[in-house]
Amino acid sequence: MTTYVLKRLGQSVLTLFLTLTTVFVLLRLAPGDPAAAYAGPNPTTEDLARIRAQFGLDDSLLGQYGTFLANLVRGDLGTSFSFQAPALDVVLDRLPYTLTLAVSAILVTAVVAVPLGVWMARHVHTGREFGANLFTIAGQSMPDFWSGIMLLTLFAVVLPVFPASGFATWGGLVLPTLTIAVLQIALISRMVAREMSTNMTSPFLTVARSRGVSERGLTWRYGMTNSAIPVLTALGTRFAAMLNGVVVVEVVFAWPGVGSLVVRALETRDYPLIQATVLVTAVLTVAVQLLIDLAYPLLDPRVRLTKTSGRSASPATAPSAQTAQEAVPA
Amino acid sequence: MVFPIPHDTVPILEITDLQVELITATGVVRAVDGVSFVIRRGETVTLIGESGSGKSTTAMGVLQLLPDDLAVLSGSVKVGGVDLLTDRGAAGRIRGRMVSLIPQDPMTSLSPVHTVGAQLKGAIRLAGHSKAAAGKRAVELLEAVRIPRPAEQLTKYPHQLSGGMLQRVLIAIALAGHPVLLVADEPTSALDVTVQAGILDLLMELQERTGVGILMITHDLGVARLVSDRIHVMREGRFVESGEAEQVVDAPREDYTRRLLAAVPQLGPMDDVTARTDPPHTPSPAGATAVVLENAPGGTR
Repeated sequence: MTTYVLKRLGQSVLTLFLTLTTVFVLLRLAPGDPAAAYAGPNPTTEDLARIRAQFGLDDSLLGQYGTFLANLVRGDLGTSFSFQAPALDVVLDRLPYTLTLAVSAILVTAVVAVPLGVWMARHVHTGREFGANLFTIAGQSMPDFWSGIMLLTLFAVVLPVFPASGFATWGGLVLPTLTIAVLQIALISRMVAREMSTNMTSPFLTVARSRGVSERGLTWRYGMTNSAIPVLTALGTRFAAMLNGVVVVEVVFAWPGVGSLVVRALETRDYPLIQATVLVTAVLTVAVQLLIDLAYPLLDPRVRLTKTSGRSASPATAPSAQTAQEAVPA
Repeated sequence: MVFPIPHDTVPILEITDLQVELITATGVVRAVDGVSFVIRRGETVTLIGESGSGKSTTAMGVLQLLPDDLAVLSGSVKVGGVDLLTDRGAAGRIRGRMVSLIPQDPMTSLSPVHTVGAQLKGAIRLAGHSKAAAGKRAVELLEAVRIPRPAEQLTKYPHQLSGGMLQRVLIAIALAGHPVLLVADEPTSALDVTVQAGILDLLMELQERTGVGILMITHDLGVARLVSDRIHVMREGRFVESGEAEQVVDAPREDYTRRLLAAVPQLGPMDDVTARTDPPHTPSPAGATAVVLENAPGGTR
């Protein structure tokens, strides 16, 4: 277990290093000049040269990379061009807003999607399931910029129940959360329904029914626990994706999170800020993935975490673990 | 242990003219076509037949475990005098209490993410025991099915036990509610040959001790002859021959039964196999001797 975690942490450091390097190189290969973006309208050639020198953009690519790495080791991700403040601090200031939105959205998703999926599985091949499917397909098909604007129009303009933008009050959390959750509920509930209908026809469930376990017990105690790994993996993966900043939703609702920060950083070619954002979100993603993998053995006793790689912790190994029977003489 | 059946003259199970129609993708199939039989206290009645003969469907019909929307049952299925087909709530009341299932494949019949003990204790709780009493009763039940070191086995997950052990656990679970009838749906088919006899011995021993009735489903004539009081030979949803076990096995009246008997694998010398089978060097599980299949009934194929 400890070996496994250490190994995974080592892998994570390598992943983060490669991610940062790729972003560093790609940013500088892409067209666009940070100096021009920073200087404002109609800069003189001298202005641009001065800014370039100030940001260290005249060095060779390798030279800039060397400086970057040297600073990175000391925990310095550079100074944001546009904020004129340490890039990491700028990102960390925005992070709580994105975290709040992501946690709120994933909670709403889990609370709605899991019971909805179970309900769909119980009414499979009926009109009710068909109706639920219409809803989920619609939810999946609506682009978030559109559903976001529709929710805004309905609940902030026509019926001014919630604030239209920002995070001045907790009410401001409602519309962005709903916008994200509609899509996630659609995706997750269909997945839960699929997993559950497989489990509800499995032999162990029929045998449990034969010994008088109630339908409620069959659904939650036997059906749901056996669907826990795929459902948790899906929720975790969606959550990790949200931590990278829900860009469109943050922009639509002027949410002061990492997503809207990324847009601004990209517009201004703010290399240090983009790099700091990538590092922070990559660390969070890797951490969430590790936590999900560590939860697997708690959810399914057939899964063993081995030190070879993270893959071996996947539930795909469960059936093979089952065949490795301990030889107990009967 | 109080039997809800007043005296031995009322059958534990009385099935009259049972028909089961299954709705399949290709149309309605009459899987069981008018069968009638009774099981009294302490009796073992066996339904024997090929795959698709309707024997398992009959068994699942007794427990009302066929999907409501895909199976239509008619006739009557009386457990202790109560007709499960007219009293819709009756099935829920008898499951696990009066009638228990011993399933075909023990390896897939327990939830893989719950311990054996949790599932056994769950069944004990359903039978009305308190949480405090459940632990003690679980150990007693595992002792009753001859599982060594019962307290230790309770903490194990299904994948940590062998098929034979799991079948014993499932029998213990089936016994938790003091049933009067066990429905054993091919209880040894998925087990190693060496383990099968032990499970059958256990069932017979439990029957002797408790007087539980057994509805045995099998395609194995050896099993049927060993355990049965009466045998019903089933084919295409109907009984083609019914009678005392010895009579059906030793002096079958019907041609189909004779062909079924002739299809029983017999041990023969190794040379025999090389002469008859193709490819000639099929590895033999028995080593020096081999199983020879001949004269399989062509009946429903």
